[in-house]
Amino acid sequence: MLRFVVRRLLAAAPTLFISGAAVFFLIRLIPGDPAALLLGDQADAASLADLHRRLGLDQGLPTQFSLWFQRMLHGDLGQSIRTGEPVLSLVIDHFVVSARIVFVAVALAAAIAVPAGMLAAWRQNGKLDIGLVSAATVLLSIPSFWLGLMLLYLFGLELGWLPVIGYVDFSEDPVAALTYMVLPVATLVLHETGILIRMARASTLEVLRLDYITYARSKGLSEGAVLWRHAFRNAFGPTWTLIGLVLGNLLGGIAVVETVFTIPGLGRLLVDSIFGRDYPVIQGCLLFVAFVYVLINLVVDLLYPLFDPRVAEA
Amino acid sequence: MKHLHGATLIAVLLTGATATAAFAATRIVVALPADIRSSMPGTNRDDNTDSVILNVVEGLVGYGEGGDVKPLLARSVETSADGLTYTFRLRSDVRFHNGDKLSSADVLWSWNRYMDPKTEWRCLAEFDGRNDLKVLKVEAPDASTVVMRINRRSALFLDTLARTDCGMTGILSKASVKADGTWDRPIGTGPFEFSDWKRGRGITLSRFAGYKSPEGSKPDGYVGLKTPGVDVVQLQVIPDPATVKLGMASKSVDIAQLLSSDVVEVKNDPALVTSAESDSSKHALLFQTRDPLMADAKFRRAVAAALDYKQLVDVASDGLSKPNNSAVFERSVYADATQRKGFKTDLTQAKALLKESSYRGQTIKLIANKRSPMPSFQVALVTQAMLQAIGIKVEIEVLEWATQLDRYNAGNYQMMSFSYSGRLDPALSYEQFTGDKARQARKVWDNPEAIALIETARTVSDKAERQKIFDRLHEMALADVPLINLYNGLTVWSRGKRVGGFSPWEGKLRLWTARVGA
Repeated sequence: MLRFVVRRLLAAAPTLFISGAAVFFLIRLIPGDPAALLLGDQADAASLADLHRRLGLDQGLPTQFSLWFQRMLHGDLGQSIRTGEPVLSLVIDHFVVSARIVFVAVALAAAIAVPAGMLAAWRQNGKLDIGLVSAATVLLSIPSFWLGLMLLYLFGLELGWLPVIGYVDFSEDPVAALTYMVLPVATLVLHETGILIRMARASTLEVLRLDYITYARSKGLSEGAVLWRHAFRNAFGPTWTLIGLVLGNLLGGIAVVETVFTIPGLGRLLVDSIFGRDYPVIQGCLLFVAFVYVLINLVVDLLYPLFDPRVAEA
Repeated sequence: MKHLHGATLIAVLLTGATATAAFAATRIVVALPADIRSSMPGTNRDDNTDSVILNVVEGLVGYGEGGDVKPLLARSVETSADGLTYTFRLRSDVRFHNGDKLSSADVLWSWNRYMDPKTEWRCLAEFDGRNDLKVLKVEAPDASTVVMRINRRSALFLDTLARTDCGMTGILSKASVKADGTWDRPIGTGPFEFSDWKRGRGITLSRFAGYKSPEGSKPDGYVGLKTPGVDVVQLQVIPDPATVKLGMASKSVDIAQLLSSDVVEVKNDPALVTSAESDSSKHALLFQTRDPLMADAKFRRAVAAALDYKQLVDVASDGLSKPNNSAVFERSVYADATQRKGFKTDLTQAKALLKESSYRGQTIKLIANKRSPMPSFQVALVTQAMLQAIGIKVEIEVLEWATQLDRYNAGNYQMMSFSYSGRLDPALSYEQFTGDKARQARKVWDNPEAIALIETARTVSDKAERQKIFDRLHEMALADVPLINLYNGLTVWSRGKRVGGFSPWEGKLRLWTARVGA
């Protein structure tokens, strides 16, 4: 197991290097000069040149990349062009905010969607199935920003149960922090539940058609036992993989939800940095997101044998 | 941010609880569209940053409502006969937020800090000789007098000191920096103390109990009556305009800037008051006169005659603004009858000019952006329709702001719908678009006579003489049409009815004007 983990982590190194290099060069292909953005519409050539020099943007791309890469190997992702803050702490601070919301939302979405998907498959083409599939399709189709605004309107404005704007950290006031988390978490739960229900239903349907399920039923096992003891473990594998992908996806970008709910998370940091051409922060964010993806995929792969022992044997 | 004063700390602890709990009658929540870039005046800043920080710091001089410069921390400013020596007599009643009395030593310390290249002050080049003007010597002959000597006569020396993008050259206490010389937080003399900053979330400002307002019975730009009317201001970062509206409707936010397109909807809410304030920024249509077609003055005049300015500005500003074809802003002390003259809409003349011009049916590219709340795209859209009416084909190329700024700086465009940041002095306003294209590609009006007139306006202090220069420049610009200034910038504000008196200026928050229950 340890060898497997080490091998996977080593295999991730080239992935991260390629991701880092791609982000570094691609972001510089986009037109837009960070120094010009900082100085505004009245920048004179001398001030621009001076700022380019101070930001290290006057050097050739290979030199800039080499310097950035060397610093990165020492755990230094540079400083934000716009605020001067160290990128690593900036990224981690914002990631923690996003992660708290995303982990809770994905856990809740999975807890709702997996049983719902299995029930829909068990009652295929019945009223329950049609109802759940329709609900999943509707949830999938609604854009998260619209859903967020509607929830804000209903629970914040009309009912007045929850705060409309702001963010409170757990370290400041855990109870208030929870109230501020409810709506963004609910938005993500509703949005992600749709896709997870569909996946759980599809994989359960596939398993329910297999011979060993027919055999279990013919042994006289109850439907509950067939479903939870025999179908669940085999059917959950693909859904588990999807949960990993959803988690990685959300951890890298819930910018829209963060913008609507005024949450200072990683997605908003990334979007603001792109508009401001804050190269070090963009690079830091995307490298960090790539690392999180690798880590989540590793965890998903390590836990997969719990549901499907054939993978471990292979 | 780690070292807070007692009263401030209590306020911060109380205000940090929840955004919605109104614990005190004199606490207001104000929406900010983005976080501030830094807390250093005039350094790593944008308009949003200036808007917040100028509630905390004050300079020796500040702008009045009409763009004229008036004493602020100075009681008086005397200029020597040769125009090279400025003597600032400081007010005796001013204290910093930490209780220390303002003295000329603080002015000297602040000035030396600004002039140190390590500070990266935005306006360093304006005073170190790179842009001709150089401050040769700054002295403090006594505790309440500061003397500055410059290298040449300048009508803009005080104006530049007062500029908001220079952080008003705000005078800071030495305690604003840590023992190792690094920046801590601004300890100024402004009506509000900088109490707390949670990056990405918001800033808390607290009323400065020891604040002494400059003379005046009412607010006047950044001078006049400045006594703060609320105890605590929570500036909350809310980037999404829809969330801002919800915040206003739910009374979680007391003051916010809105999109002009939201005014009709918000006006229906009886609990809210909306207002539109014009400023000195300019929305304009630029011509690249190096382009063979745009170099043809007849074509440019045809475009100018084809536009219905009232209609165009109505659409672009949602009926909240009015045309101003001058580079001098509407409320300027230089906005006389000549400046109010504008382009005349005349489709017959436009068609005739077009026929005489070198236009042969080619498609013109008009660059615009959709950066909210700028009206660049709306202006481009209406312009396209109006030019089509006289037979000019226009294709709009929508670019993201950073890309458009690149093209603007490189002069790489045919026509562009562009917004200039605010400049209160007309010389600076004209200078934004006038100059030698060979030296600065972004310049739009490369006219030696105009350049010489602006240079004269930079040195002449006499108002009547300057007025003549600006009037001449305006008449030349109307004839030459290097660009079409359409209208001055506009910011739309909404406030809850529990907050009274709030009056922003130049699109910036003058938080001292807000009152609760007024």
